Parts: sequence; C-alpha cells; structure tokens
Amino acid sequence: MNSPVRMEPSVPSAVPRREELALLRILVVAGEGGSAGGLLQNLRQWADDGRLEVDTAPDLPRAVRQLAGQRWDVVLAVLGEHPDDDPSWWVDTLRGATGSPRLIAVAQAPSMGLVLRAEKSGVLDVLSLPLRREELVRALERVRSVASETAVPLPLVEPHAVGPYALVGQSPAMLDVYKLLARVARSAATVLVQGESGTGKEVAARAIHMNGPHASGAFVAVNCAAIPENLLESELFGHEKGAFTGAVTRKIGRFEQAGNGTLFLDEIADMSLALQAKILRAVQEREIERVGGNETIPVDVRLIAATNRDLKEAIKQGRFREDLYYRLAVVTIRLPTLVERGDDLMLLTAYYVRLFAERYGKRIHAISDRALELLRAHAWVGNVRELRNVIERAVIVATDDTLRAEHLPDELRGEETTLADRPQGGLLTLAEAEARHIARVLAHTNGQIGAAAEILGIHRNTLTRKMKEYGL
Amino acid sequence: MTGPAPVRVEKALALMPELEALAPLRALLVSIARPDEATVWSSSGPYLTLGKRGVHPDELRRRMPQAFHRITEHLQALFKAYVEALECQQRGDAPGVVVALLRAGRLEEEVGRHTQARNWYEVALRVAEALQDRRPEVEALRALGYVCLALGEYAAGARHFQRSLALAEAEFDQAGATAASEGLGDVALAQGQWAGAQAWFSRGLRLAEAASDAPRAGRLERQLGVLARKQRDLAAAGEFLRRARERFEVAGLADEMARVLNEQGRLDAQLGRYAAASAAYREALAWVQRAPRDARLELSIRLNLAELDLEAGRLLEAEAELRRAEQVAIGGHVIRPLAQIYMLMGRLRGAQEDETGFVFFEQALELVKAVERSVATEAEVCHAYGLFRGRLGQQDEARAYLERARELFDSLGEAVERERVEAELRALSA
Repeated sequence: MNSPVRMEPSVPSAVPRREELALLRILVVAGEGGSAGGLLQNLRQWADDGRLEVDTAPDLPRAVRQLAGQRWDVVLAVLGEHPDDDPSWWVDTLRGATGSPRLIAVAQAPSMGLVLRAEKSGVLDVLSLPLRREELVRALERVRSVASETAVPLPLVEPHAVGPYALVGQSPAMLDVYKLLARVARSAATVLVQGESGTGKEVAARAIHMNGPHASGAFVAVNCAAIPENLLESELFGHEKGAFTGAVTRKIGRFEQAGNGTLFLDEIADMSLALQAKILRAVQEREIERVGGNETIPVDVRLIAATNRDLKEAIKQGRFREDLYYRLAVVTIRLPTLVERGDDLMLLTAYYVRLFAERYGKRIHAISDRALELLRAHAWVGNVRELRNVIERAVIVATDDTLRAEHLPDELRGEETTLADRPQGGLLTLAEAEARHIARVLAHTNGQIGAAAEILGIHRNTLTRKMKEYGL
Repeated sequence: MTGPAPVRVEKALALMPELEALAPLRALLVSIARPDEATVWSSSGPYLTLGKRGVHPDELRRRMPQAFHRITEHLQALFKAYVEALECQQRGDAPGVVVALLRAGRLEEEVGRHTQARNWYEVALRVAEALQDRRPEVEALRALGYVCLALGEYAAGARHFQRSLALAEAEFDQAGATAASEGLGDVALAQGQWAGAQAWFSRGLRLAEAASDAPRAGRLERQLGVLARKQRDLAAAGEFLRRARERFEVAGLADEMARVLNEQGRLDAQLGRYAAASAAYREALAWVQRAPRDARLELSIRLNLAELDLEAGRLLEAEAELRRAEQVAIGGHVIRPLAQIYMLMGRLRGAQEDETGFVFFEQALELVKAVERSVATEAEVCHAYGLFRGRLGQQDEARAYLERARELFDSLGEAVERERVEAELRALSA
C-alpha cells in the first residue's frame, strides 16, 4: 500500500515567547489569619518583581464564583483540615473555569499520600508552608513554560477512507495488517480480528466489508459485551410479538438486518455458551429462528468476529466453544497496539486533530513539542481509542492554532511529576520511589489490595502497612 | 498473576434473593463493583453499566466486617432510641417517648429505609395522640407527611400535613404551622398542582418571616423559585432565588447554598444562559463539599450539570459528568439516582443516534424495578425510552413505552408530565 502521509510545509510557531507574556494572575484561596495570612503577605510582597497579580478568595465556593467572572492563570489553594481540601475535589470543581487555571496546592507538611493524590488528579505542584519564594517561583515557571513550547507542524494525513472510518498508519506492523486485509477482503471467508482494546478491530472489519463481495449489503455491528445477556439473543436473532415480557412488537434481529452484507460480532468472548451454540448453528446452517418463533429464516451474511481476549485460553477454561472458534477463525488478523506502531502516534494525532478541528470549527495546524512529548510518554492502555478521546477533548479546549500541553487532560499532565521537580536534580528518595510505585500498581489494580500485593510480590499485610505509612 | 476473573454484577445479583436482610449485602456488593481496566477502553466501555461491572467474592468477604459494623451501628442507635423511649415511659414523660421514637424513624430515613421509618413514626403518632400537649403530634404528623412524600404516597402525605397544620394552628404553634405549610406546598409541587403549591409556600413564607425564621424563609423562597420556574415566570424565579441565597449566605448554611445554587443553575439553563448555569452548578458543588456529606444532593447537582452539557451538545463533557455521578452513586451506596444517571446516558446515546444506547434504558428500568421501586422514576425512564425509540424510527416500541409512562404518571396524579406524554403520543400518531 502507498504511504498515507505527506509532510506539510512548516508553519511558524504560534506559541508566544516568554518575554511577551502578560502578568500571571494568581487567585489565592485561603482564609485570612494564621499561616495563610503570612502567605498572603509574602505573596503581595513578591508580586511586584515577580510579574504576578494576586487576589484572594476565602474558600472554594467563593473562588468558583470569582473564577466564573474572569480568567486566572493559577489557583493557589491553601489546604487545611476541611473535607473539601482533597486535591481531586478541587480539580473537579475547577474544571470548566474560565481559562482552565492550573492548581497549586499548599499545605502544612504535605504527606506523601497528599502529594501522590494531587499528582494523580493533575495538580501542578504541592508546596509546603511556610511557602518559600524559590519553590513558588519554580512552580510558576512550569505554568509559564507554556511560552517555551515550540510548535511542531502537524503532518497532512491522507487516510485510506473507509466510509466515515479510516485506517491511518504507516508503521511496519500496520503495513502487514494492510496486506492481510487486502487478501482477506476479496474472499467471503469468516474472519476473526484479535487485538487489545482500542486497536481498531471494528475499523478493520469495516475495511474488509467495504472491499469485499458483500460491500453492497449492510454492515451491522453488535457489541456482545455491551448488551445484557438476557437481551442479546433477541438482539441477534429477533423475536416475535409477545415472545417475552416487553416484546411489544415483532423485532427483526441483527442477522436478518445484515441481509446480504456483513455481521460484525464484537467482543464475542463475552457471549454465554448457550448463545455460542446458537451462533454456531447460524454459521453452519446459515439459518436462524426468531425468539418465540417457529419459522426458519435463511441468512446469507459474512461474519466477522472480534475479541480482545485469548480465545484459546478461554477454550481451555471451558468458557468458549472450540468448534465455534474454528468456524470463526478461518482467517485471523491480529492488530498491533499503539505502542507497537511507533511513529503512527504522530500520524494518528494529526489525523484526529484535523478531524475534530473540522467538527468543532477550530483551526489547529500545530502541536507543541511538550504536548507531543507527553503523548509519546503515555502508556496508552486504551490504544487508538484512548488517543482519539484525548485529542477530541484537547481540540475542544484549544483556543488558538496550536495544541499545547495545557489542553491535554489532567491524567496526562499529571505525568509531569511533581516529585521529580526537586532541588536534588529530580532524584527521588527510596521511600518516595516506593510510594510512587505502590500508588501506580494500586491504580493498575483499581485499588484491589490483594491483586496489588501479588504484583508487588509482598504480603497483603505488608502492603497495607506501607499504604498507611505513605498515606495512600 | 491476575487471578480469577471477577463475577459480573448482573450475575451476582441474580444469585441473591429479594430478602430485606440481604439489603446491606446488596449495597456492599454494588459499592465495590468496578469495571476492569480492559473494559474501560474496550468497545463496550462506553456502554458500561452497573450490571457489567465486576466483583471479586474475596473482596466482598473481606469487606463484610465493614458492612456488619455499619449494620451494628445502625441497630445500636435504633435500640438506644427505643430504650430511651422506654425510660421516658417509665418516668411518665410521654413527649420524651415521642421524641425518641421520631429519632429512630429519622435514623431509618438516613439509610433510605422509608417504610421502616414510617412504622416508627406511626408508633410515635399513636403515643402523641394521647397527649394533652399537641406539639409532639404536630411533629409526628409532619414526619409522616415527609416520609409519605419520599415514598410517592402524595395523598397520604397531604392528609398528614393537613392535620399537622390544623393542630399547630389550634395550639398557636407558629413553627409547626409554617413547617406544615411547607410540607403541603411540597406535596402540591410534586403533583404539579401549581396553584396549591403557590398558596401553601406563600403562606409558609409569611409565617416564617413573622417569626424571623431565616433558614425556613429561605427554603420557602427557594421552593417558590422552583415553582415560578416551572410556571415559566423566570423573572420571579430569579428574584426568589436571589433572596433565598442572600439569607443562606449570611447564615453560612452550606447545604442550603448548594440547593439554591442548584436551582439557580436550572433557572439559568432554562434562560439559555449555559455559562451562568454551569458556574452556578460548580459553585453548588463547592458548597456541597463544605456541608455534611450528602451524596444525594451532590448527585442531583451533577445530574443537572450533565443535562446542561447534553442540551448544549457538549456530549463528551456530559458523559464525563455522568460517569463521575455514577461513581459517586456506586461508591456512596446511593443506588436510587443510578436509574436517572443511566436514563441520561441513554438520552446521550440517542442524541448520537446510537442504537446500542438502549442498554442504558434497560439497566435503568431494571434498577427501578429491583432496587429503587419508584413509580415516578419508572415513569421518567419510560418517557425518555419512548422518545429514544421514536428517534430511531421504532414507532411501535416508542408508543408502548410512552403509553406506559402515561399510565404511571396517571397513577401518581402527576398532571403536567402526563400532559407532555399525551402530546408526544399524539405527535407519534400524526
């Protein structure tokens, strides 16, 4: 296949330079008096030579009110004993405020747990009281670092359009996929598409359909995992009126809807064994019966199935029928993960930026080097789907012609670590490294201590103790 | 390394019989249910509902002591209230008996056990009826009125409030009369009887102002604001809400500030002022965190914020807010609003003409029948489901759901919503 990418001529950087920056506007949220009072006094003293404009709000509700009225660059939150002093709550409440201000949290002796929670929520930095000027300056530099971001022009992507869908990529892994797709599409063979979540299994199925003998028929997709088990059978095969409570009319199922086209069964591993047997019959006999009906209806559809599971393992565990597997896997296509696709990340980014810029009426021609760096550093568990989601959100919040780090979601920006920005040159103490790793593993296991302990190779009680110690 | 796969909630709940004794276990199971990481980004991720989340039996076993602790605490508090009632009885302090029994009822209401609360209030009322001092009776009737309102038994609620008002007036109990007026207004508002609600709230407000009861006056002004908005007198609604807000801000009542700002957001949304509405909801969220924990209030604000985004076509934001609300509901053991959350998710998919969005309505209906048992919510879900089916061109199914919604609104005596559904059915036939 031809290369889908052409580089556009470079566009000049749209990112303002540091010396062009206006004052940094900081809203300090703290009650007067105590250590917060001292902090305000200091800030007002530093404001003149630090090109800062400082105002105050006594608490979060009043801060929200002030933020609704005008643009602020930074919210400096003095966290105390109040329940709303959870950094994630602050980030959640400030979401949508004019200008998306960055949040800096200030607390008396912040615990490791607070720092990690703040980092996870996308808080820019956590500083301790009494506030030292150099620490604040360093945190504010990170806000201002937007000025030092260099715009990188987005390459022009010529996608192999497949209806409203597109296959984008020129990595060796994807070129192999293209070759296989081209061969498979010409036949009417049943295809099994395998790959992690978000790798584009439905896009590949549509490509096969559009380039195959059933292209003139419908492409009907069914997500087997999304539909409750008790409704999936009638969704696939249809039902007669009165077949069960709620069957108010006759329903034509997806097999029939697909007519002479293609039926795409996504996440097929999530189907019950009983339903797998019915699918097998439909594939073998090429006929179905509606739920509650006696009539046998012939169907002539091409079947493409997809899964992110290991079906052979599922067969071993007795959760998937072996005979159905061999019926479906006449040809198997395995899609690579986004990480395996290397520089396709840039192409996909460019493609989605253009797609969503057009949808939301924006003119975006470039991405900053820092934003690109953050995209490259991210783990992309959700592969292309996750990237698409991130870019769509970024395009929505972007206000000029460059997509910058500040437009990326908190989760990605949170990966610009707060702990790493420390005087000793970014090196962590052993305890800090351990706490961060434990937090990461817990996030991976959705907070399940048993599973986290297993991954970490320590006893559950040890993990519980360490979590307590680090305030996790 | 990953261990056995979790059990899906839909399967786990199917194994649990409908026994009251198992309600805390059901709540615990739901609250620990999580989507696995793979599901979040899979193609079924956007359709994830409670039923598709997973639970690990070992985690349920591990968390059981927490559930037992909560049950024990609740029972201890109930038993303590009862023993206090007995001690009062022994001392011949009948008003004290009523106070203790009412406290037990409130404890039941706090954990969402409205039917059980009503039982406590009925015992309290029987004791109060024998007293010469009628104020305990006024209070017991008011408590019964509100619990009936929560159970959707509007006629019974109105009867209790009426009787409470008559007694309070006979006793020159101004606070009792104000509260009963407020309750009668709330019942009328819930039934869409605008004129009645207006009369009762206005009467209550006059009484509250005469007694310099600022918090109650503020609450009545907020309710008058709600009423004015529903009647499309938006200027009057704004004025009532402004006055209520001033009273609450001076008094530093964070929960009331959150409620009034939540209503302000709805008013701004109705006026098409999306930015102002969004700011009001966000400030409401900030206040709610400063008040004692009230997940229902937080969920109400988040649902309104999501609906605002939905109506403004900001579908990504709407979905994100709904997912946050879902997490609050599941994590906070507040299962009732989940049906509304899924109904809005279904509407969101309908706006995208995504047929698979039907799974959200199905989940909402299942929750309404299995967990929430609220006729009002079932009516709302059927209404929205009918519109969803209609939008996809499935006219027969749309009609069936709209007819069911009409029937349910009828049973509630809800005139305004019934008329809306009727109009949609006429449009469908045309």
